[in-house]
Amino acid sequence: MLRITRRAGERIMLGNDVIVEVVEVRGGTVRLAIDAPRSLAIYREELWIEVMRENRAAAQAAGPNMPDVEVRLKDPPAA
Amino acid sequence: MSITIESSRFGRVEIDPATVIEFPEGLIGLGGSRYALLARDAGTAFLWLQSLDDPALALPVTNPHLFFADYEVKLTDEDVERLGLDDSTAVDVYVTVKSGESLEDFTANQRAPILVWGGQGYQIINQTPGCELRAALFAGVDVAPAAEDTA
Repeated sequence: MLRITRRAGERIMLGNDVIVEVVEVRGGTVRLAIDAPRSLAIYREELWIEVMRENRAAAQAAGPNMPDVEVRLKDPPAA
Repeated sequence: MSITIESSRFGRVEIDPATVIEFPEGLIGLGGSRYALLARDAGTAFLWLQSLDDPALALPVTNPHLFFADYEVKLTDEDVERLGLDDSTAVDVYVTVKSGESLEDFTANQRAPILVWGGQGYQIINQTPGCELRAALFAGVDVAPAAEDTA
Protein backbone atom coordinates (compact mmCIF):
# COMPACT_ATOMS: atom_id res chain seq x y z
CA MET A 1 0.00 0.00 0.00
CA LEU A 2 1.27 3.44 -0.92
CA ARG A 3 1.75 5.80 2.00
CA ILE A 4 2.13 9.53 1.46
CA THR A 5 2.66 12.27 4.03
CA ARG A 6 0.66 15.45 3.43
CA ARG A 7 0.12 18.66 5.36
CA ALA A 8 -3.07 20.68 5.66
CA GLY A 9 -3.76 22.38 2.35
CA GLU A 10 -1.87 19.79 0.32
CA ARG A 11 -3.53 17.45 -2.12
CA ILE A 12 -3.11 14.12 -3.79
CA MET A 13 -4.50 13.08 -7.15
CA LEU A 14 -5.96 9.66 -7.91
CA GLY A 15 -5.69 9.29 -11.66
CA ASN A 16 -6.43 12.42 -13.61
CA ASP A 17 -9.69 13.55 -12.15
CA VAL A 18 -9.93 12.71 -8.46
CA ILE A 19 -8.39 15.19 -6.03
CA VAL A 20 -8.24 14.62 -2.28
CA GLU A 21 -7.25 17.62 -0.18
CA VAL A 22 -6.27 17.58 3.46
CA VAL A 23 -8.31 20.50 4.75
CA GLU A 24 -7.55 20.33 8.44
CA VAL A 25 -5.63 18.21 10.89
CA ARG A 26 -6.66 18.54 14.50
CA GLY A 27 -6.00 16.09 17.30
CA GLY A 28 -6.72 12.63 15.95
CA THR A 29 -9.01 13.88 13.20
CA VAL A 30 -8.27 14.70 9.58
CA ARG A 31 -10.79 16.58 7.47
CA LEU A 32 -10.63 15.77 3.77
CA ALA A 33 -12.20 17.42 0.74
CA ILE A 34 -12.77 15.18 -2.26
CA ASP A 35 -13.23 16.51 -5.75
CA ALA A 36 -14.30 13.64 -7.98
CA PRO A 37 -16.41 13.10 -11.08
CA ARG A 38 -20.12 13.17 -10.36
CA SER A 39 -20.48 9.53 -11.34
CA LEU A 40 -18.22 8.31 -8.54
CA ALA A 41 -19.96 7.20 -5.37
CA ILE A 42 -18.07 8.05 -2.19
CA TYR A 43 -18.63 6.12 1.06
CA ARG A 44 -17.28 6.06 4.57
CA GLU A 45 -15.65 2.65 4.57
CA GLU A 46 -17.18 1.35 7.79
CA LEU A 47 -20.69 2.03 6.51
CA TRP A 48 -19.91 0.46 3.13
CA ILE A 49 -18.70 -2.67 4.93
CA GLU A 50 -21.78 -2.84 7.14
CA VAL A 51 -24.08 -2.57 4.14
CA MET A 52 -22.07 -5.19 2.25
CA ARG A 53 -22.47 -7.56 5.20
CA GLU A 54 -26.20 -6.91 5.43
CA ASN A 55 -26.60 -7.50 1.69
CA ARG A 56 -24.73 -10.77 1.86
CA ALA A 57 -26.54 -11.87 4.99
CA ALA A 58 -29.90 -11.06 3.38
CA ALA A 59 -28.99 -13.10 0.31
CA GLN A 60 -27.82 -16.04 2.41
CA ALA A 61 -30.45 -16.06 5.15
CA ALA A 62 -33.48 -16.45 2.96
CA GLY A 63 -34.98 -19.72 1.83
CA PRO A 64 -37.09 -19.79 -1.32
CA ASN A 65 -40.25 -18.96 0.60
CA MET A 66 -40.84 -15.73 2.43
CA PRO A 67 -43.56 -15.51 5.11
CA ASP A 68 -46.96 -15.91 3.51
CA VAL A 69 -48.60 -13.10 5.44
CA GLU A 70 -50.35 -9.83 4.88
CA VAL A 71 -49.29 -6.89 6.97
CA ARG A 72 -51.04 -3.76 8.11
CA LEU A 73 -49.41 -0.82 9.87
CA LYS A 74 -50.46 -0.55 13.52
CA ASP A 75 -50.02 3.17 13.36
CA PRO A 76 -50.53 4.31 9.76
CA PRO A 77 -49.43 7.81 8.77
CA ALA A 78 -52.17 10.41 8.52
CA ALA A 79 -53.50 10.51 4.95
CA MET B 1 -37.78 -12.91 -26.32
CA SER B 2 -37.48 -13.81 -22.66
CA ILE B 3 -34.30 -14.45 -20.72
CA THR B 4 -34.03 -17.85 -19.06
CA ILE B 5 -31.90 -18.29 -15.98
CA GLU B 6 -31.28 -21.28 -13.76
CA SER B 7 -31.71 -19.71 -10.36
CA SER B 8 -30.22 -21.72 -7.50
CA ARG B 9 -33.19 -20.77 -5.39
CA PHE B 10 -36.11 -20.97 -7.80
CA GLY B 11 -34.96 -23.30 -10.56
CA ARG B 12 -35.66 -22.26 -14.13
CA VAL B 13 -37.06 -18.75 -14.33
CA GLU B 14 -38.23 -16.92 -17.43
CA ILE B 15 -37.64 -13.19 -17.30
CA ASP B 16 -39.17 -10.56 -19.52
CA PRO B 17 -36.26 -8.37 -20.69
CA ALA B 18 -38.45 -5.29 -20.15
CA THR B 19 -38.38 -5.97 -16.42
CA VAL B 20 -34.60 -6.15 -16.13
CA ILE B 21 -33.08 -3.48 -13.91
CA GLU B 22 -29.57 -2.23 -14.57
CA PHE B 23 -27.53 -1.42 -11.47
CA PRO B 24 -24.58 0.49 -12.92
CA GLU B 25 -22.80 0.32 -9.54
CA GLY B 26 -24.12 -3.09 -8.56
CA LEU B 27 -25.42 -3.56 -5.05
CA ILE B 28 -23.00 -2.54 -2.33
CA GLY B 29 -20.44 -5.32 -1.94
CA LEU B 30 -22.19 -7.68 -4.34
CA GLY B 31 -21.19 -8.46 -7.89
CA GLY B 32 -23.18 -8.13 -11.05
CA SER B 33 -25.11 -5.26 -12.54
CA ARG B 34 -28.27 -6.84 -13.96
CA TYR B 35 -31.14 -7.90 -11.73
CA ALA B 36 -34.80 -8.72 -12.18
CA LEU B 37 -37.55 -8.15 -9.61
CA LEU B 38 -39.39 -11.42 -9.16
CA ALA B 39 -42.75 -11.79 -7.44
CA ARG B 40 -42.61 -15.39 -6.26
CA ASP B 41 -45.42 -15.32 -3.78
CA ALA B 42 -48.32 -13.24 -5.02
CA GLY B 43 -50.16 -11.50 -2.23
CA THR B 44 -47.23 -11.24 0.15
CA ALA B 45 -45.18 -8.16 0.79
CA PHE B 46 -41.94 -9.61 -0.54
CA LEU B 47 -40.17 -9.51 -3.88
CA TRP B 48 -36.85 -10.95 -4.93
CA LEU B 49 -34.00 -9.16 -6.62
CA GLN B 50 -32.58 -12.00 -8.66
CA SER B 51 -29.16 -11.45 -10.19
CA LEU B 52 -28.99 -12.30 -13.88
CA ASP B 53 -25.21 -12.46 -13.72
CA ASP B 54 -25.04 -14.88 -10.78
CA PRO B 55 -27.86 -17.45 -10.60
CA ALA B 56 -26.98 -18.14 -6.95
CA LEU B 57 -27.57 -14.54 -5.90
CA ALA B 58 -31.05 -13.36 -4.93
CA LEU B 59 -32.08 -10.93 -2.20
CA PRO B 60 -35.52 -10.58 -0.71
CA VAL B 61 -36.75 -7.00 -0.71
CA THR B 62 -39.91 -5.20 0.27
CA ASN B 63 -41.63 -1.85 0.10
CA PRO B 64 -40.56 -0.15 3.36
CA HIS B 65 -43.74 1.90 3.55
CA LEU B 66 -45.73 -1.28 4.19
CA PHE B 67 -43.79 -1.86 7.41
CA PHE B 68 -42.47 1.49 8.64
CA ALA B 69 -45.04 4.26 8.95
CA ASP B 70 -42.54 7.10 9.02
CA TYR B 71 -39.95 5.78 6.61
CA GLU B 72 -38.28 8.44 4.50
CA VAL B 73 -35.32 8.47 2.14
CA LYS B 74 -33.04 11.49 2.19
CA LEU B 75 -30.13 11.73 -0.23
CA THR B 76 -27.04 13.86 -0.08
CA ASP B 77 -26.96 16.69 -2.62
CA GLU B 78 -24.10 14.82 -4.28
CA ASP B 79 -26.23 11.71 -4.72
CA VAL B 80 -29.18 13.70 -6.08
CA GLU B 81 -26.89 15.25 -8.66
CA ARG B 82 -25.07 12.00 -9.40
CA LEU B 83 -28.28 10.09 -9.99
CA GLY B 84 -29.89 12.89 -11.99
CA LEU B 85 -33.02 12.91 -9.83
CA ASP B 86 -35.48 15.74 -9.51
CA ASP B 87 -38.83 16.18 -7.78
CA SER B 88 -40.73 14.86 -10.78
CA THR B 89 -38.93 11.51 -10.89
CA ALA B 90 -41.17 8.68 -9.73
CA VAL B 91 -38.86 6.38 -7.81
CA ASP B 92 -39.72 2.96 -6.39
CA VAL B 93 -38.08 2.33 -3.03
CA TYR B 94 -37.15 -1.10 -1.70
CA VAL B 95 -35.26 -2.28 1.35
CA THR B 96 -33.39 -5.56 1.67
CA VAL B 97 -34.83 -8.08 4.11
CA LYS B 98 -32.88 -10.52 6.25
CA SER B 99 -34.91 -13.58 7.17
CA GLY B 100 -34.92 -15.06 10.64
CA GLU B 101 -36.27 -18.12 12.39
CA SER B 102 -39.41 -16.34 13.48
CA LEU B 103 -41.04 -13.12 12.30
CA GLU B 104 -39.55 -11.24 15.26
CA ASP B 105 -36.09 -12.03 13.90
CA PHE B 106 -36.69 -10.56 10.43
CA THR B 107 -34.87 -7.28 9.83
CA ALA B 108 -34.75 -4.72 7.04
CA ASN B 109 -31.92 -2.40 6.15
CA GLN B 110 -33.27 1.15 6.38
CA ARG B 111 -29.83 2.68 5.94
CA ALA B 112 -29.23 1.47 2.39
CA PRO B 113 -32.46 1.43 0.40
CA ILE B 114 -32.59 0.51 -3.27
CA LEU B 115 -34.04 3.10 -5.61
CA VAL B 116 -35.46 1.99 -8.96
CA TRP B 117 -36.70 4.13 -11.80
CA GLY B 118 -36.64 3.92 -15.57
CA GLY B 119 -35.09 0.48 -15.67
CA GLN B 120 -32.14 1.41 -13.51
CA GLY B 121 -31.38 0.91 -9.85
CA TYR B 122 -29.01 2.23 -7.21
CA GLN B 123 -28.42 1.26 -3.62
CA ILE B 124 -27.77 4.48 -1.77
CA ILE B 125 -27.03 5.58 1.79
CA ASN B 126 -30.11 7.08 3.44
CA GLN B 127 -29.29 10.28 5.31
CA THR B 128 -32.47 10.27 7.39
CA PRO B 129 -31.46 10.30 11.07
CA GLY B 130 -32.42 7.22 13.07
CA CYS B 131 -32.39 4.80 10.16
CA GLU B 132 -31.34 1.36 11.29
CA LEU B 133 -29.16 -1.16 9.53
CA ARG B 134 -31.17 -3.96 11.12
CA ALA B 135 -34.65 -2.66 11.87
CA ALA B 136 -37.12 -5.20 13.26
CA LEU B 137 -39.35 -5.70 10.24
CA PHE B 138 -42.58 -6.78 11.87
CA ALA B 139 -42.42 -4.57 14.98
CA GLY B 140 -44.86 -1.97 13.68
CA VAL B 141 -47.37 -4.11 11.81
CA ASP B 142 -50.25 -6.46 12.47
CA VAL B 143 -49.89 -9.75 10.65
CA ALA B 144 -52.60 -11.89 9.12
CA PRO B 145 -52.25 -15.03 7.01
CA ALA B 146 -52.35 -14.16 3.33
CA ALA B 147 -55.88 -14.32 1.97
CA GLU B 148 -56.75 -17.54 0.19
CA ASP B 149 -56.95 -17.13 -3.53
CA THR B 150 -60.66 -17.49 -4.24
CA ALA B 151 -60.40 -17.22 -8.01
